[in-house]
Amino acid sequence: MSVRAVARKDLADAGRSKALWAVTLAVVLFTAGITGVAGTTSDEPANVVFGLAFQLVVVALPIIALFVAKGAITGERESGSVRVLLSLPPSRRDILLGKLVGRTALMLVATLIGAVTTGVVVVTLIGSGLNLLVPFMIFLGLMGMAFVGIGVGISAVSSTDGQATALAVTAYLILVALWNLIQRGIQAGAAELGLIEAGSQPAWIQFIGVFPPNRAAVAAFETASSGGQIFAADPFASVWFPTLMLLIWLIVPVLGGYLRFRDADIG
Amino acid sequence: MLQWHIPATTEMTEPAIDTDGLTKRFGDVKAVDGLDLTVESGEIFGFLGPNGAGKSTTINMLLNFVSPTAGTASMLGLDVSAERKQLHRRIGVVPENYGLYERLSGRRHVELAVEFKNVSDDPDELLERVGLSQEDASRPAGEYSTGMGQRLALAVALVGSPELLILDEPTSGLDPNGARELRQLIQRENERGATVFFSSHILEQVEAVADRVGIIDDGKFVATDSIEQLRENLDGGARVTLHVGREPEGPVAELPNVRDIEIANGVVRGTCLEPDAKLTLIDRVRETTTVTDVRIEESSLEDMFASYTSDGSDCDDTEAAVAGGVEA
Repeated sequence: MSVRAVARKDLADAGRSKALWAVTLAVVLFTAGITGVAGTTSDEPANVVFGLAFQLVVVALPIIALFVAKGAITGERESGSVRVLLSLPPSRRDILLGKLVGRTALMLVATLIGAVTTGVVVVTLIGSGLNLLVPFMIFLGLMGMAFVGIGVGISAVSSTDGQATALAVTAYLILVALWNLIQRGIQAGAAELGLIEAGSQPAWIQFIGVFPPNRAAVAAFETASSGGQIFAADPFASVWFPTLMLLIWLIVPVLGGYLRFRDADIG
Repeated sequence: MLQWHIPATTEMTEPAIDTDGLTKRFGDVKAVDGLDLTVESGEIFGFLGPNGAGKSTTINMLLNFVSPTAGTASMLGLDVSAERKQLHRRIGVVPENYGLYERLSGRRHVELAVEFKNVSDDPDELLERVGLSQEDASRPAGEYSTGMGQRLALAVALVGSPELLILDEPTSGLDPNGARELRQLIQRENERGATVFFSSHILEQVEAVADRVGIIDDGKFVATDSIEQLRENLDGGARVTLHVGREPEGPVAELPNVRDIEIANGVVRGTCLEPDAKLTLIDRVRETTTVTDVRIEESSLEDMFASYTSDGSDCDDTEAAVAGGVEA
């Protein structure tokens, strides 16, 4: 009841802002635009074009999702409207969940519009690959949701909007921009220490490879779009394992954020 | 006008607000220090104190915005933390430093509160009651002036006919006219049966409506009583200043209920604790000299306030104290 009301309020408020339209436009441009460029500049089959587009889109979508979400709580704290909400019956949990639902819906609407536009672009240019649109949409959607979750979690642990922005940028740098380096560093370090043989890929190194939501989404989409098994024995060649990673990302940051926000002094 | 409140006995309704040893420490600073506050059901309680005295921290604890370091607090017999949801359906609040949703209309704000409290109030009726027109109610709150925002916040607080209204500095941002309307509204709500608890650092706001006043300073109550009783306890009396043709020779003899008689620069001053003591003093002085002018200053609430709070922290208080004759 309260969660739904908070979510609707959040959407109504955000819907009147230019943010929604800016986000939608950004997502559409990134997904459809990049796919369009990939489709026209190569003679690759649809699944390769989609794969290429997916790899590029997962770089852009996380920062959009983080910025959609990072002000969810801190914005209300800075404006003082959270004091009005908390004076009314909704609890902090209701507010956090309502915000999560609202911002997730916002992100999903934008992703959906982006994915549909992408489908139109691909089918127009290549004439096939419409079937790939479903996994494309699902895994981009899940990844967007995961980053919205991370952003809302960040917002819940921050006391100011500036702090939330700094944390969101840090999360982006670590999980998206620098993860390749981090993974290679860990791998090289482990080889140096004699924990693994140079060049080998034991399970835990592979795990590090699919740890961030963007990586997990790419792994899941690639396996799914290349006809891989959903429940393959090797988790790193399956769809279920990276999907599970995405679902964990959906829950853990929000839960962590809730525990901090629950006990925070709203001075 | 002022009602004298007899402490409730056990079979009467539960206190509207009840705190026991409520304490909040921020690092080494005790913002609120062992506060025992009881606001009886049906009264208008003014929570008075200079800025930084601990008023807001106390209210923040009552509203569960901030958790106490020690002590307990309940309102309407419900624990402010464990039973907050149930409690918040029955109270109305104008918190300090609240914000509005700039892009949502005034009416939408009230509709939201109606939805959250699960009641069937008519938003337009509430908006009208606080003096916001239909036209204003349709505008986004981001376009509101401070006073209009304050009226909207009040309309939100009134949703669901709350049994207890908590207003943190409700007059800030209101013009004198708005402040008067607010007092009338507080009185109407009280007549309806609501308990009203409001904080202020402005004495006249409290003096005008409150049945009882609690004065807080440095996180502790320095006085809790009716205004009349506080004034009596103050023992400030009236400061009588007599300009005389020539100073009386020798000291003016001791008079009952007259204190601090001093003679200097052609002026005789005395503090009269009872009304008839003023005449006694004037008569006594006239026996020895001619009185050319008389000035009488009643001790004001400002003096009372200044005398109760330690350092008269802001300039206005200090000036008022000096003018009223409570010189240190």
